[in-house]
Amino acid sequence: MSTPARKRLMRDFKRLQQDPPAGISGAPQDNNIMLWNAVIFGPDDTPWDGGASSDVDNYKTIDCKLYGWLHESHTCHNLLAYSLEHSKQRAVYRTFKLTLQFTEDYPNKPPTVRFVSRMFHPNIYADGSICLDILQNQWSPIYDVAAILTSIQSLLCDPNPNSPANSEAARMFSENKREYNRRVREIVEQSWTAD
Amino acid sequence: MDSEDEMAAMMEDSNDDEEFYGGGGGYGDDDSDSDGVVMDYDGFMDHDSDDSDDLSSSHLHYHHRSQNYTILDEDDIRQCQEESITKISTVLSISRVAAGILLRHYNWSVSKVNDEWFADEEKVRKTVGLLENDSPLPDVTELTCGICFETYPQDRMSAAACGHPFCVICWQGYVGTAINDGPGCLMLRCPDPSCGAAIGQDMVNKLASNDDKEKYNRYFVRSFVEDNRKTKWCPAPGCEYAVDFVVGSGNYDVNCRCSYSFCWNCVEEAHRPVDCGTVSKWILKNSAESENMNWILANSKPCPKCKRPIEKNQGCMHITCTPPCKFEFCWLCLGAWTEHGERTGGFYACNRYEAAKQEGAYDDAEKRREMAKNSLERYTHYYERWATNQSVKTLLAMLGLFWFTGLDFLFGYLNIFFGLFYSISYEQHILLEKLSDIQCQPESQLKFIVEAWLQCFILDALYILRYAEYLSALFVNLIVECRRVLKWTYAYGYYLPENEHAKKQFFEYLQGEAESGLERLHQCAEKEFQVYLNSEGPSKDFNEFRTKLAGLTSLFSVSVDIFCQQLIGAGVTKNYFENLVRALENGLSDVDSDAVCRQAGSSKNVGSGSGKGRGGKGKGPTSTSRNIDDSTHWSCEYCTYANVRSPTVCEMCQQRR
Repeated sequence: MSTPARKRLMRDFKRLQQDPPAGISGAPQDNNIMLWNAVIFGPDDTPWDGGASSDVDNYKTIDCKLYGWLHESHTCHNLLAYSLEHSKQRAVYRTFKLTLQFTEDYPNKPPTVRFVSRMFHPNIYADGSICLDILQNQWSPIYDVAAILTSIQSLLCDPNPNSPANSEAARMFSENKREYNRRVREIVEQSWTAD
Repeated sequence: MDSEDEMAAMMEDSNDDEEFYGGGGGYGDDDSDSDGVVMDYDGFMDHDSDDSDDLSSSHLHYHHRSQNYTILDEDDIRQCQEESITKISTVLSISRVAAGILLRHYNWSVSKVNDEWFADEEKVRKTVGLLENDSPLPDVTELTCGICFETYPQDRMSAAACGHPFCVICWQGYVGTAINDGPGCLMLRCPDPSCGAAIGQDMVNKLASNDDKEKYNRYFVRSFVEDNRKTKWCPAPGCEYAVDFVVGSGNYDVNCRCSYSFCWNCVEEAHRPVDCGTVSKWILKNSAESENMNWILANSKPCPKCKRPIEKNQGCMHITCTPPCKFEFCWLCLGAWTEHGERTGGFYACNRYEAAKQEGAYDDAEKRREMAKNSLERYTHYYERWATNQSVKTLLAMLGLFWFTGLDFLFGYLNIFFGLFYSISYEQHILLEKLSDIQCQPESQLKFIVEAWLQCFILDALYILRYAEYLSALFVNLIVECRRVLKWTYAYGYYLPENEHAKKQFFEYLQGEAESGLERLHQCAEKEFQVYLNSEGPSKDFNEFRTKLAGLTSLFSVSVDIFCQQLIGAGVTKNYFENLVRALENGLSDVDSDAVCRQAGSSKNVGSGSGKGRGGKGKGPTSTSRNIDDSTHWSCEYCTYANVRSPTVCEMCQQRR
């Protein structure tokens, strides 16, 4: 029953719980370890961080939303508690939701990663797919879920305009940084209410 | 039996069998420029050449003079590959596996590897992933696999030269996935992303399953042909041979052992004398939609209501479009039918249309249609001829097959005669009795004569048959080659600029000569086949045997006769084709009207000579009118438009015939 892929995924999850990197978290769905839900917190001091706000109501909203997203896997209460704790300390974080679909070829083949939230980024397609080298040809079996999520997080503020998935965003990023930041903040705000 | 003796004498002149079969590329040694129309027939001859261990001759089975390519089968490829690896391995003092990796990286070019290595060994090692020293696994009892994070004893762990340890199970998965992903597995590196250590065949053999090992090996051998710029696979379907080519004279024609000929440069079918650019344009044109659109534009009108193209092939001018449109209109003026009737001219004419035409209202559309029609007709003219020659080739292949089947009949005959000969020798005394009665000569003398005669005859017959087979192979091959050249000259003709009349005339003159020569040969070939088909089975009665023998003898002499005549015809045709090829390769630059006339005179003489000299099987030289069916059309010399009606003036360009 337990295939190498599943064993490895359990290991990844354990690792994520024991030693979580800052700003990311994820957990498999209850009935299906091959499908994971994950969140990435927008990196600090970037237009992705959603602006620091001490609005308590917003905080509460975030609280519930985060809980709702992760609650499908009730095995990760610890994780949830941790992230709530974290957000209490740092006012409000903007979170971006993703799904990771694994196959039995894992870790020899990369998972399919997609953003669920609407994003405005040069390397993220309109349907949420991500254009990232380690998820395609530069994949190595050594990368685990934490590594994937961390590199996506760093991609947010370091886009690569040479392989544009979203041409408008890529152009704006190269030509008009201010406008680009404005658009990012706008979309962060928008999806906020849409959740 | 004169011609037979002649033949035998000629054959004694050539030094030995080897040279006859292997050396000569054609009958009559005027082959200094035999690169033109190829008469070499590689596939047919059964070379019992040396099976020596020396590589240079063992895989050069078909080394003709001026040949710049070699055919390689799978063993030859392996051998060449092993050779290159050994060379690099010894010169650079590295392992064979490392040499293999290096070579594959530099496209199997031994010289490139040498240059790069001795220029900057460090850089090469880094790019390719060959580490200098082999780091062993850490000397501990248990290690953690970097992929599955389980711990295993050291003997269940393995690492590449970089020393990064992974468990054997994970290695198998990693290597297996890479192999199943395709030939990219040849460039496999260590799973650790920060490390670029290359994984070579030795590690694959240690860590992969048997199936995967087999696959890897096959990719490795195939890579020698695919990654190497000097070798290519033969494009014929089902052919397993590769061709090693030395770029040199500009002649890119390759004849594979499977008897398929192709152009090295563009890997299309052989297309001398036309250049690769023209060929690709032509093929694209044949497949492109644009010609279809052109045809639709030229031959159809759109329904005024639903705009669907309609082609009118008969009947009156009252058109009803198909459902769901069902619009009724007049074909001539495209107006609604409700406005037509007796007043406007009835069912077969339209006053409105005539009036508007007078005013010139239809000029633009008509002009467009006319132009489309012209360009389409011009294209169709050339395309049809190209396509006919294409399909004729398949017919020819079948003809060739029948030809050989006919010869097989003869071989069968010969076998039967051998049998009869031996059975007769047992019953010789009966035979001799009968003969001496008939001939009134002593038995002993007769016996000697009969035996000698039979032996001589059979030996000669064998010899001649062999020769006949060889010649007929050449003959069929010649026809095939000529057809191919002719086919591509049509493509060439299409792309000739319209305004260069002199060139066009010259070109069409040459083409016409070549084509008529080819038709003659074709007729000869078909007729000969009939002769063999009509041969009957043998009988046991002596008289019939005698007649049959005599008949066969005369058949042989006749066939030799025919062969000679055909060869002369073939030689003449070969000349025509060589002229054509040469002219096209010079870009039709040597256009000289006098030369054209002189050639017209001389070739006609030769043609008639060969036609009439030996039983005149072929037609006389045809008229200089072009290659279209003469009974219903004539083709204008200036614009090649196929005129039907106007007897003396061309419809298109208004030039006189």
